[in-house]
Amino acid sequence: MKRIIAQTRKELTQTFRDRLTLALALALPLAQMWLIGTAISLSVTDLRVVVQDMDQTPLSRRYAEVLRGSLTFEVVPLAADERPERALDTGDAHAAVVIPEHFERDLRRGAGVEVQWLLDGADANTATNMRNHANTITAAFNRQFAPEASRPAVVAKERFWFNPGNDEDQFVGPGIFAVGLALFPPLLAALAVSREGEQKTILQVYVSSISAFEYLLGKILAFLIIAAAEWSLTLLLAVLLFGLWFKGDPTPFLVSSFLFLFCSVAFGAMIGARIPDRAAAIQAIQNTCFLLSYLLSGFIFPVSNIPAGVRWVSYLIPARYYIEVARDTFVRGGGWAAVWYVPVALGALSAVYFASAWARMRHMQVEA
Amino acid sequence: MRLLAWLTDNRFWPLFMKELRQIKRNRKLVVMLIMPPTVNLVLLGFAMNSEVKNVQLGVVDESRTAESRELISAFVEGGAFQLAERFESGEALGRALSAGQLDGGLVVPQDYAQKRARGQTAEVQILVDSVNSNRAGIAAGYAARVVAALNAKLAAAGGGAAVSSRASDVARAGAEPRVAVLYNPGLRTSWFIVTGTIGILMVLIGSLVASASMVNEKESGTIEQLLMTPAGSTEIIAAKIAPIMLLLSADILLAVFVVRLVFDVPVRGSLMLLYFAGMLCVLAGIGIGTFIATFTRSQTQAQLMSFFVNPPVSMLSGATTPIEGMPYWLQQVSYVNPVRHFSTIARGVLLKGVGLDILYPNVLALTAFTLVIVGASVWRFRKQLS
Repeated sequence: MKRIIAQTRKELTQTFRDRLTLALALALPLAQMWLIGTAISLSVTDLRVVVQDMDQTPLSRRYAEVLRGSLTFEVVPLAADERPERALDTGDAHAAVVIPEHFERDLRRGAGVEVQWLLDGADANTATNMRNHANTITAAFNRQFAPEASRPAVVAKERFWFNPGNDEDQFVGPGIFAVGLALFPPLLAALAVSREGEQKTILQVYVSSISAFEYLLGKILAFLIIAAAEWSLTLLLAVLLFGLWFKGDPTPFLVSSFLFLFCSVAFGAMIGARIPDRAAAIQAIQNTCFLLSYLLSGFIFPVSNIPAGVRWVSYLIPARYYIEVARDTFVRGGGWAAVWYVPVALGALSAVYFASAWARMRHMQVEA
Repeated sequence: MRLLAWLTDNRFWPLFMKELRQIKRNRKLVVMLIMPPTVNLVLLGFAMNSEVKNVQLGVVDESRTAESRELISAFVEGGAFQLAERFESGEALGRALSAGQLDGGLVVPQDYAQKRARGQTAEVQILVDSVNSNRAGIAAGYAARVVAALNAKLAAAGGGAAVSSRASDVARAGAEPRVAVLYNPGLRTSWFIVTGTIGILMVLIGSLVASASMVNEKESGTIEQLLMTPAGSTEIIAAKIAPIMLLLSADILLAVFVVRLVFDVPVRGSLMLLYFAGMLCVLAGIGIGTFIATFTRSQTQAQLMSFFVNPPVSMLSGATTPIEGMPYWLQQVSYVNPVRHFSTIARGVLLKGVGLDILYPNVLALTAFTLVIVGASVWRFRKQLS
C-alpha cells in the first residue's frame, strides 16, 4: 500500500512539472468541450430557400408568408426567369420552392395544387428535416386557407418526452462530456507508462521492490486523481454551458463515473505497457479512444444505425456505456432500473484492461 | 537545354531523392498513408448514419376497434416505425420509455372510434423520446406524415360515401408539396459524411507526416548536417515537402476510389478539379504540420500539439455536421478552415457536378490559406535554422 502511494505521488509530481501535459490534462478538455459542444449540431435554422412565385396572387404570397414565418427557413425571392436549380448548384440556397401559375385559381376551384420543392440532398439529414418542414408548412397553409374544408379525421398530438423543447444541447451536452473524458485521461496514462518503456526507466522499476501490480495501480491511481479533477471541471462546464442538471437519482451516475474513469485510465495504462514508444502510443490512443469513442459510441449517430458487423466493437468502448448513463441522468431520469448494466459492463471492461496491462508487466523483465 | 541543365544541376534534386529514399524505407509511413484513408472512410461512412428507421414504438390501444387497428397498422406499414410492444396503460408505456426501451409511443384513446363515427376529430397521442433531438424531430415528422396520409385516405373514402350530390366538396383539396431531392435522391447520409471526410483526412495525414519528417531531423540532430550542405533553407524545405505531396496525391485518388467503390458516391464533375483542390488541401496540411514542428523538439511534443489543432480543424469544418448548425460566429470563423472549402469543392464536384465557374471562391480561399500557412511555416523554419 505504501509503495502504491509512493508511486502515485511520484507520478503526480512528474506530471505537474510538464506544462504541456498539464495543459492537455486540464485546459484542452474544457476548450474542446466548449468548442465542439457549441459547434456540433444537426438541427439547423435559417436555411436559405429561394421562392419562385409564378402566380403572384394574394394566396401565393400567403404561402411564401407562411414559409417566412417558420424559423427553419430564410426566404429569398427568385425572379420568374431564373432557374431555381442554379441556386442549389451554387450553394446559395438549400431549397427552392416553385409556386406554380394559377395557384390561387386552382385552389379556389378546389382542385389540388402541387407546390414544387427542390431540396439539396447532399446533406441527407438536413434534407430529411426540410422535407418534413415542407409538409408541416403546407399543412399550416391549408389550415389558414380553408379551415373548415381541411378539418381532419385524426389529429396526432405529439409530446416530446424528457426534453420537451427538443433542445439539441440536451443531446450533445452529455455526449461531449463523455467523449471528452474518454480521450484525455487514457492519453496521459498511456504517455506516462510508455515513457518508462521508451526511456528505459522501466528497468529501475524492475530492480526495485515494487511489484507490477503495485506499480500499475500506483500509476492508475495518480491519473485517476487527475481524471477526477478533469471530470469535476468538465461537469461544471456542462452544467453552465448546456444547462444540464440531475433529473433523478444521481448515484448510478456517480458510481459509473468512477468506474468509467478507472476503465479509461486502465485502458491507457494497457496501451502504454504494450507500446513502449510514446509517439506510437499517442497514435493508438487517438485511433481508439478518440475515433472509436466519437464514431461508435452513439455520440451523434445512434449505435443502432451501425451495421451489425461493426456494432460489436462498440461493446468494448467504455464511452458507449458512459454516454448512456450521462443521458439518462441528465435528460431521461430513469435511474438504476434503466442503467443498471452500465456499472456492470464498465467494471468488467476495467478488469479486462487492467488484467491485460498487468499480464504485460507482470514478469518485470525486459523482453529480448 | 537550359531547362535540362537547371534540372540536373540543382541542389533540390539530390535532397528530393534523399527524402524519397528515406520515406521508401519507412514502412510505418507507408502504412500510415494507406490505412487511414481506407479504414476511416469506410468506418465513418458506415457508422455515421443519421437515418431514422426502425423507430421502436410502444402502443396503448384503449379503443380496441377496427378503426384503431387501422391507425396502428398505418404507422407500422410506413416502414419508419416498428411495433415493439403493446401496453395495457399509459403508465406502463411511460415506464418503458423512461427505461429507454422504446423510442416512442402511440396512445389511442377509448373514444377514438366513436369520435370518428360521429365525424368529429379524434385525437391520438404520440410520445417521442427526445433525448436524441434530431431523431425525435424526424420521427415526429414521419408520424405527422402517416396521420396526414390516413386523413387523405379517409377523406377520399368518407367524402365519396357521405354526400354524393355535391361533387365539388369531395374533390376539395388543398395545396400539396411535391418534393424532389437533388444530388442525393436516396438521402444517403454516407454521401455527406465521406465527401467531407476526404478533406479531413488530407489535412490530418499531411500535417502528421510533415511534422514527423521535420521533427525527425531535429530529434536525431541531422538538421545540422543538412545545414552544412550548400543548400539553402528554402531548398531544404521544398525538398522535404515535395515527396510528401507526391505520395499524398496518390491518397486523394485512393480516397475517391474507396468512396466510389464502397458507397457508390457518383463522380459527376471534373476529377481534375477535385485532384487539384485535394493537392491544395494536402499542402495546407503539410503547412500546418511544418508550423507545428517549428514549435516542438520531439515527436511526442509534436503529436500532443496536434491535439490542439486537429480536432477543431476537423470538427468546425462542416465536414460531418452541417455548417448551418453552428453558431453564427463559428460559421464566420470556419471560412479560414481549409477543410470547409475542400468539403464544398468535393460535394460540388462529386455530388452536384458543378465546375470551377461555381466553385472558384472556394478554390481561391483554399489557395490563399495554403499560401499563408506554408509561407508562415517556411519563414519560421528559416528563422530557426539561421
